[in-house]
Amino acid sequence: MATYIPLLLLFLIAAIIAIAMFLLSTYIGPKNPTPEKMIPFECGSESTGGRFVKPSVKFYLTAILFVVFDLEAVLIYPWTIQFRSLGWVGLATMGSFIALLVVGLLYVWKKGALEWER
Amino acid sequence: MNLDPFLAASPLLVVALGGCLLMVAEAFSKHGREENDSRSAGPSGDLALGTAITLITGAIFSAGIWFVGPDKLEGSRALEPYLILDRFSLFFSFVLCVGGALSALLAGGYLPEHKLDRGEFYPLLIFSTLGAMMLAAAGDLLSLFLGLETMSLGVYALAGFRRASPRSTEAALKYFLLGSFAAAILLYGGALIYGATGHTDLAGIRAAITSTAATEGAANPAVLLIGVALVIVGLAFKVSAVPFHMWTPDAYEGAPTPATTFMAVAVKSAAFATLLRVLVEAFGDPALTSWASGWPPLLAFMALLTMTVANLIAGRQESVKRMLAYSSIAHAGYVLVGLVATIKVGGDAQASIMFYLLAYTASTVGAFGALILCGSRGAEAVSYEDLSGLGRRHPAAAMAFSFFLLSLAGTPPTAGFFSKFYIIKAALGAEHYVLVVVLVLNSVLSAYYYLRVLVFMYMREPAPGAPLARPMRSGYVTTALVLSAVLVLVLGVFPSTYLEIVAQAALASR
Repeated sequence: MATYIPLLLLFLIAAIIAIAMFLLSTYIGPKNPTPEKMIPFECGSESTGGRFVKPSVKFYLTAILFVVFDLEAVLIYPWTIQFRSLGWVGLATMGSFIALLVVGLLYVWKKGALEWER
Repeated sequence: MNLDPFLAASPLLVVALGGCLLMVAEAFSKHGREENDSRSAGPSGDLALGTAITLITGAIFSAGIWFVGPDKLEGSRALEPYLILDRFSLFFSFVLCVGGALSALLAGGYLPEHKLDRGEFYPLLIFSTLGAMMLAAAGDLLSLFLGLETMSLGVYALAGFRRASPRSTEAALKYFLLGSFAAAILLYGGALIYGATGHTDLAGIRAAITSTAATEGAANPAVLLIGVALVIVGLAFKVSAVPFHMWTPDAYEGAPTPATTFMAVAVKSAAFATLLRVLVEAFGDPALTSWASGWPPLLAFMALLTMTVANLIAGRQESVKRMLAYSSIAHAGYVLVGLVATIKVGGDAQASIMFYLLAYTASTVGAFGALILCGSRGAEAVSYEDLSGLGRRHPAAAMAFSFFLLSLAGTPPTAGFFSKFYIIKAALGAEHYVLVVVLVLNSVLSAYYYLRVLVFMYMREPAPGAPLARPMRSGYVTTALVLSAVLVLVLGVFPSTYLEIVAQAALASR
């Protein structure tokens, strides 16, 4: 248990610093509000539009497809390094994995998820 | 090359292959593009049949391997500890495939009737069933989590399948948020157990607990106990035991009825299968099953709460679908009584749980199917009032509904009676008298709201001018109802034969 006390101290000090910064700036910082300062900060440019913008579902589709095929690469890289030692069993395993992905790709393609303009 | 491992895993493989084929076939058919859906006839007919055939094939494979004996296949242990392909998991793949196939048949009638006819329903259903089968066979916390997620992801989508309806979206969102939260709790529990024992496979966890119990006197370091509790919480969410049941009525009511059926039947059975396996194989050590310092009091408390709360609230529902949702929570409570009894009477209690889940599957599919049959497009049967006078307007649907409700209430000669009887017998054998008394009182209580449906169907006339729920006609729904009626009757008339068969599937507590 004693080994964790420095860690707890660290968390405590971090919390104290964070809270203190907020309180100090709220209470002793100079305040000079102007209308320009009160608008929400948007990278320095003028903010436009409302807060609740519905993003198109196409972005979501693209993102999820990217994740799927990105993960595929993550799994295939280590396999290529061990290709010889894994032998035919490894080839068959990776083959069936890729075949499953191809099924998914076919589905996605026929359903039109790969077309941006529809 | 030795093909036995493939043969042993064939129920899973058949279902997976069938799902992939159906998915691609649906995408390449003329129904695949969504814009066609409003004009041409929907894809449900062919896909429902294909799904049912795939899942029935999976059930047949499970039964076939059961009769050969999975231990006779040389490589059946090749996938351990990730998938344990013993009689226990074969039994549950059979139950899950049957439940999935019957839900698919219900969907074949329901989706076209209610203008929800999109093909995604069926692949999602198959892949969820596959996840459920994996869950029931999982012998490692990692594969358990994978199976749970495979099963749940499909069901979340199924719950929100009626996209235009706010209720359905609400159901999906509630189920998804709470479900992923419960999955995270389960994962956290698994991590703590791994930290305490150094194993993720159930047998290894058991061995580590036993060896620490032998050397240090008692195996209850706080970390392990918290881990066990969190895993139980995660799984109790899926079986919707009180106090983790809050999502159930809303999710069951909002989801399209075939999806509700699948949630009530397959998800619950699979979660009970894995709960049973985890409790017996990983936490079955005497140090963890004592009443002073283990999980039995937790489960017993949950069983008492689940039965009582669910039955009390079910009686006050005005929507029949919501009443059936609470009734499914109550049934989870009865099964939990059997789970508590497994500590003392082992095999008998396990067999009673398995029998119960099979009987419950058949009766629940029947009840929801009859409810589907009672309504039609734009006039779904929802409240008790909608059902009034149905005994004259549609005698067949009314009779089927009464039959399945009587089975759920536990009346002889239906399966429901003997399944409850065996649970009570097991609990008496384990001397849990309080649980038995509460169970019996609760079944009396439950008769009130089941029979209330019968009262409305046969003894009330619809109020003049009230909009009537028009019964629909569908070969698929009728087929599903006939199949589950046969199952309910056969299980109810020859229970001991089936109990003997089921008893072979009990997990040996090692």
